[in-house]
Amino acid sequence: MSHGHDHSHGSHGHDPHGHDHHEPGFLGKYVFSVDHKVIGIQYAVTSLVFLLVGFTMMLIMRWQLARPDEAVPIIGGLLARLGITNAGTRSLLPEGYNMLGAMHGTIMVFLGVVPLAVGGFGNYVMPLQIGAKDMAFPKLNMMSYWVFLAGGIVMLASFGANGGAAQSGWTSYPPLSNIALSGQTWWLVGMVLLITSSLLGSVNFITTIFHLRAKGMSLWKMPFFVWGQLVTAFLLLLAFPPLEAAGVLQLMDRVADTSFFMPAGLYVGDKPVTSWTGGGNPLLWQHLFWFLAHPEVYVLILPAMGIVGEVLANNTRKPLWGYKTLVYSIIFLGFMSFIVWAHHMYMTGMGTAISTFFQATTMIISIPSVIILTCFIISLYGARIRYNTPMLFAISFLPMFAIGGLTGLPLGLAAADIHLHDTYYVIGHFHYVVAPGTIFALFAGIYHWFPKATGRRMNEFLGKLHFWPSLIGMNMIFGPMFFVGIAGVQRRLWTQVDYNLGQLTQSWVVFSSVGAAVLGLAQIPFIINFFSTALAGRKVTQNPWDATTLEWAAPSPPPHGNFLTEPVVYCGPYEYSVPGKKSDFCPQCQPMEA
Amino acid sequence: MSLLAQTTWWLPPDFSEHGWQIDRLINWLHYFMAVLFVGWGVFLAYCMTRFTWKRVSMAHYTPVKAKASKVIEVAVIIFEVILLVVFSMPVLAKYKNEPPTPADNPFEVHVVAQQFAWNIHYPGPDGIFGKRDIKFVKDATNPIGLDRDGDPNAKDDIVSNNQMPLPAGRHIIVKVTSKDVIHSFNIPMLRVKQDAVPGIEIPVWFKVKEGTTSDAIREQMARTVVVPAAGESTTAYELWCRNNLTFDEVKGADGQVVLKKGAEPGKDHLEALRAAGVKELRVGPRDPVEIHCTQLCGLTHYKMRGQVLIQSQADFDKWYEEKAKGTGDFIED
Ligand code: HEM
Ligand SMILES: [Cu+2]
Ligand SMILES: [Cu+2]
Repeated sequence: MSHGHDHSHGSHGHDPHGHDHHEPGFLGKYVFSVDHKVIGIQYAVTSLVFLLVGFTMMLIMRWQLARPDEAVPIIGGLLARLGITNAGTRSLLPEGYNMLGAMHGTIMVFLGVVPLAVGGFGNYVMPLQIGAKDMAFPKLNMMSYWVFLAGGIVMLASFGANGGAAQSGWTSYPPLSNIALSGQTWWLVGMVLLITSSLLGSVNFITTIFHLRAKGMSLWKMPFFVWGQLVTAFLLLLAFPPLEAAGVLQLMDRVADTSFFMPAGLYVGDKPVTSWTGGGNPLLWQHLFWFLAHPEVYVLILPAMGIVGEVLANNTRKPLWGYKTLVYSIIFLGFMSFIVWAHHMYMTGMGTAISTFFQATTMIISIPSVIILTCFIISLYGARIRYNTPMLFAISFLPMFAIGGLTGLPLGLAAADIHLHDTYYVIGHFHYVVAPGTIFALFAGIYHWFPKATGRRMNEFLGKLHFWPSLIGMNMIFGPMFFVGIAGVQRRLWTQVDYNLGQLTQSWVVFSSVGAAVLGLAQIPFIINFFSTALAGRKVTQNPWDATTLEWAAPSPPPHGNFLTEPVVYCGPYEYSVPGKKSDFCPQCQPMEA
Repeated sequence: MSLLAQTTWWLPPDFSEHGWQIDRLINWLHYFMAVLFVGWGVFLAYCMTRFTWKRVSMAHYTPVKAKASKVIEVAVIIFEVILLVVFSMPVLAKYKNEPPTPADNPFEVHVVAQQFAWNIHYPGPDGIFGKRDIKFVKDATNPIGLDRDGDPNAKDDIVSNNQMPLPAGRHIIVKVTSKDVIHSFNIPMLRVKQDAVPGIEIPVWFKVKEGTTSDAIREQMARTVVVPAAGESTTAYELWCRNNLTFDEVKGADGQVVLKKGAEPGKDHLEALRAAGVKELRVGPRDPVEIHCTQLCGLTHYKMRGQVLIQSQADFDKWYEEKAKGTGDFIED
């Protein structure tokens, strides 16, 4: 019974079982597919495009920060048509800066990282890893992608709205967002679509993981990645509804003149506000927003930790250290993430009783993160490390996430937050978590699973050419932000050169912007590698990394229905270097004594 | 290069009485973070170089007994509890729960934020704030809607735009609110931050260290700016001169005055400075203690900048009485 090996050379999928017989046409196969793998790839490709778009927006902003009021190179003229740059001087306008800032945040979070981590990797890898033929609700899965795409299109189209795209930050605090121009309405509609898509996805993930696991795949035999996706799905399911409701309330405030978030007696510009009766509370929005947005940061990080776990185990050639501890830690993180949200609101005037509670919960939630990181690092002890590209990205996730996580502590203690709140320190902190943290993990995942999805392995030289300058660029961008923030410079500024403290840190800002250019250039080898490998890369066997988990027991790429024979699980996910065995790995689908 | 030499790496100077406690917490936190990070880093580096493919023939299957991980976790918990209970909660409690008592003779000021300015409202010598109502708001002359005609208490009130004179050495209570959107009232060099939320008036209190004056701070923050030769980049020069004033009169070789004392040098003066053979300028910030708005509040959020003018109580009183006489005045910056 070693079917894992039987098919290692038969990667063309003629599957007698679990295969529906009428072949779907081109549209059904590649566009309106219900196959989790096709949907996963659709999600992945779309979100990679959005990541590039969001990054390009930031390059434009970084240009302005380093060279205030100078013409934006190359696309400065084009952007004038959208009202982002000045038609004459081609320099970035303050409203353009605010638009790009709000859209950068929104796109990176909701259209880039989450759809890649969950929609892409979750969809593609998770059913394979648990030995399922597909997701529990394939049509729902397809719908989730198309609603997501609609949300993305609405977001991008909002640049054409009267007055341009939303300018109130990704946080969209009222009253500013309520009195904003129509781009904000587009933003809200886009958000409602994106949230709906995530909710559809999360139900599907939870059902699939609980009901479609292969025979023998008990919960404790699930790969860490699957655990990450499971906790993530619960977070999405439970945290998004309050934001969806809040989004609808804000939409009503804007289009139907309700006053959920509008206090009475406002005076804007040169006249009193009369279109709202008032009596609402702008802080209510902040509570609803952060009730989602804090769990959302764990949505951004848990799938990344899942990927890092897989890549580490595979390339250390040993079991993950403290697998159960890791799982308990992320479950605990998931629970705790619902009761820390108001640490984003210490400066709103909350009382000390409440802030004490949120400081305490925030300190508590840092403990499982410390444990997770410690487990990962100890996993390297006694290993036999294989330094391929996915491993380089996965290893560098560790110190980068450490910086991001540690710098959260000063922000979590309200007294220190008095100085640091809403400064560049915050930007440095969360970017270390999501950019050199999560994005590196996602790159690790792309290099790791590319052979599964295409049957071809990405070029190692180009991979390293991608990795090293990316690592340098990321740190050049985000490292200096701690100094800028500690100096007291606030975020979301079109330029900081008018401020004394801004002048004292402007050289850091320039340095950061150079880093952004380095990071941009570093993506060229990746893009070349991605397409050239997909079209003509080196072909590999179905298990090129000598990995243990079930996805590697399917052909590469797996056919519709995934496995040639139904897999049965015999052992845990990371049986590497088991003493007394001939090979240094025991696939989950083979009995150990084989 | 002169850019890098004058760049700051850490906290800005602090002129408040409570600020050191915030700074102490921030410093301790960073020591603690550094220890953890270096600890992890050293172990990681060791593993990465010791357990390579070449140096190891087979990985260890059985998990190591890592007492260290328990030790780290317990140490982290203990340290965090100490920081929270000893160094954060009491500081915050004082900052939030213990306003100055009448016995402290505090001085109260109201701040009404708006897009994109700080309106500072002083009660005047009578110590009573006049009524505000939006129906009286006139942008140019009465931005906060002070009832100058109806309320006798408003007669001597002083309203100032972006300029916030304050006495050193006295307890100050600032009640912060907003006319339109959410702003955040932040004076980094006094370690004060409070969101300005429309519809709510939220107090913060602090005390500027006795003996502090804005003039002295300007002197303390003084810097030397190199005058770029013709053909050299002027970026650094322009940056470092922006909103900065000269301390001394600058004369050329011929004795002609190129820049007066207290003038703001800029691009326009470059040629004259070069012609006069001036190589360096000593300048200091015009408004050394600035008010930042730390909440995104709209189009020109980046320009929402105010100034705290720290004076001795005597100088402040002089200013205060002077201004209060000019009833109905609105002081623009
Ligand atoms: C990798 C390249 C990236 C660069 C160079 C970058 C840079 C920046 C900078 C400089 C800001 C601050 C702008 C300001 O305050 O004026 C910012 C804001 C932000 N970024 Fe990024 N970022 C990157 C990636 C990401 C990723 C991957 C995410 C999320 C997953 C993200 C989420 C955000 C959010 C939510 C904001 C706040 C937006 C707001 O102020 O409303 N960024 N980014
Ligand atoms: Cu949070
Ligand atoms: Cu403001």
